[in-house]
Amino acid sequence: MTDQPVLAGDVPAELVAVAERHGRVVAAGDQAATLADFRADRTGQLIGSARLPDRLVASRLLCLEAEPDGLVAAYIRYTAADGSATVLRSRWIRLDEGWRVTQVRNLPATPPVMASAGPREDGLDAPHWAGLRDGEVRVQRCARCGQWIWAPQPICPRCHGFELSWPVVEPAGTVYSWTRTWQPFTPELSGHVPFVVVLAELLAAGGRRLLGVLRNGDGADVRVGQAVRGEIDPAPGPGGRPVLRWRLT
Amino acid sequence: MSRSLRGAAAVAGIGSTPYYKRGTSPHSALRLTLEAILAACADAGLDAHDVDGFVSYASDLSEGLAVGAALGVREIRWSTMVWGGGGGGVAAAVNAAAAAVASGQAEHVVVYRGLTEADDGRQSYGKGHFPPLLSAHGVLTPAQVCALRTQRMLEVDGVPGSALEALVQASYWHAQQNPDAVAHGRPLDHDTYAGARWVSEPLRLYDCSRENDGAAAVLVTSAERARDLRPVPAYVLAGVQGAGPDWSESAENSAAYTSAGFHPALVARLWAQAGLKPGAADVVQVYENFSGPAVASLIDLGLCPPGAAAGPFMTRPNLTAPAGVLPVNTAGGNLAEGFVHGIGLVLEAVRQIRGTSANQVPGADVSLLLGGPVAPLVSATVFGSAATL
Repeated sequence: MTDQPVLAGDVPAELVAVAERHGRVVAAGDQAATLADFRADRTGQLIGSARLPDRLVASRLLCLEAEPDGLVAAYIRYTAADGSATVLRSRWIRLDEGWRVTQVRNLPATPPVMASAGPREDGLDAPHWAGLRDGEVRVQRCARCGQWIWAPQPICPRCHGFELSWPVVEPAGTVYSWTRTWQPFTPELSGHVPFVVVLAELLAAGGRRLLGVLRNGDGADVRVGQAVRGEIDPAPGPGGRPVLRWRLT
Repeated sequence: MSRSLRGAAAVAGIGSTPYYKRGTSPHSALRLTLEAILAACADAGLDAHDVDGFVSYASDLSEGLAVGAALGVREIRWSTMVWGGGGGGVAAAVNAAAAAVASGQAEHVVVYRGLTEADDGRQSYGKGHFPPLLSAHGVLTPAQVCALRTQRMLEVDGVPGSALEALVQASYWHAQQNPDAVAHGRPLDHDTYAGARWVSEPLRLYDCSRENDGAAAVLVTSAERARDLRPVPAYVLAGVQGAGPDWSESAENSAAYTSAGFHPALVARLWAQAGLKPGAADVVQVYENFSGPAVASLIDLGLCPPGAAAGPFMTRPNLTAPAGVLPVNTAGGNLAEGFVHGIGLVLEAVRQIRGTSANQVPGADVSLLLGGPVAPLVSATVFGSAATL
């Protein structure tokens, strides 16, 4: 522990010891001491937000960085028994009872990998998912009247034609709306919150809107109307599925 | 022959179990439902064996026929489940019961919703409505969908965030006078609201309803029969349900994206059927799965101005009984009274006509119920006093 943490901005001196101690109790698996550092009104959310390997052997406070609104970000690296390293960024706030963690996340920020990725049971959207495997974004379109259809349907809602096509579309669009999700609603989201979901309006698909997680959404100042471009994350492993992501351009 | 529902049916009884913290009910959802139905019948002075119709919504697990069998009713003449996830069907369920008695299909129809975490699991309102085109992107809950809608309403339409807070504050304000509310004795101040953790931006904790274990029921009967029973009838003046163009199950491709789903034709039908000037409600129970969609509902109905003008209108004084211009969620609503997918809002809409609310609007003759904003289906009911017939 000879390396001193980097202090960026106006960081209160007493926080160095607080954050170093926090790293040590987390690495030691001391749950009571870990929880005592959490802001009391959000312990459940904080517990579910970060993901760490089971057996930790060391921690190191890398950096403390002053942020707006009196928050201070602590970057702590945890080393597991297998030698792997995990960095968490905890944000600390000064309350009457002392410094407490009010947010925490894994770094780097990565989108949640959802087991549900892939066609729905009735297969209506299967060509979309097959397209992603080929590196293409395909959107349903009526072969008869040209209507763009999303979510996919078994029939064209406009002309009632059953012949539906799946043209490849240029994945360029604009942010129609967005949300940054903080609550780890399921264990799959742990280690990935907060993440930004963008609903993007695709110019090449008649203004149909497709959802996707925003790459580099950590700290991004997202606004409706910003230009985004689709990128396809490769399948996360055997049985996994490539998934569409957005990136601000 | 009249094709109108107006004044043909009424709510004659209301009943509810306590709102338990989720996961803590001592009984099953079916048992709670039975308790609520018995309470509604007792309130009406009706032998529960005389119930002959059962209506629910939001995929309630207690099927009407099983409920009827458990109660040993003399005859089942009507059973309806309103399609559509979430609470969008709550008013539609009342309307279905009213339609049944108005058309002579049944005489005493109960509308109920019962829920326990043990039976239904968490977030049962969303079951089946988050296919992979949403869930693969981490969008798993109504909170996130409603957050997307609300974000655009704030950013593009210009509705200020203060409008959301005012609706939440009004709910908590009312709950302080309602000893049965989960938030009774737990007032909410601005700092607590604004300092609460994010759920999904722009929604923080207190913008979100949180499911309780519990059940509630209302007894719907014909107007004639209601006058024979015990309490003051709350007449059904109008009922609508619907989904506008491109609305349902469109993976966030609804045309009117920042609407709550009460499209103009539906709203016009509601007031025309009620025989009232648009917006002529004395008090409103508006379903707040989340604060943003509730505000969008009031805008859809023309009760609150759209865009930036919603800010000066949506204030706690304006939204609270007895003197506010638009008292909403006078028992505390889903946010502060308790959340069993909006069934509690029905009971409170009826109490306002009876004059028995903990936050009574003096002389309330027209009481509006709005169900399930942003759900695949939305619905509304206008209740009226005898003076409105």
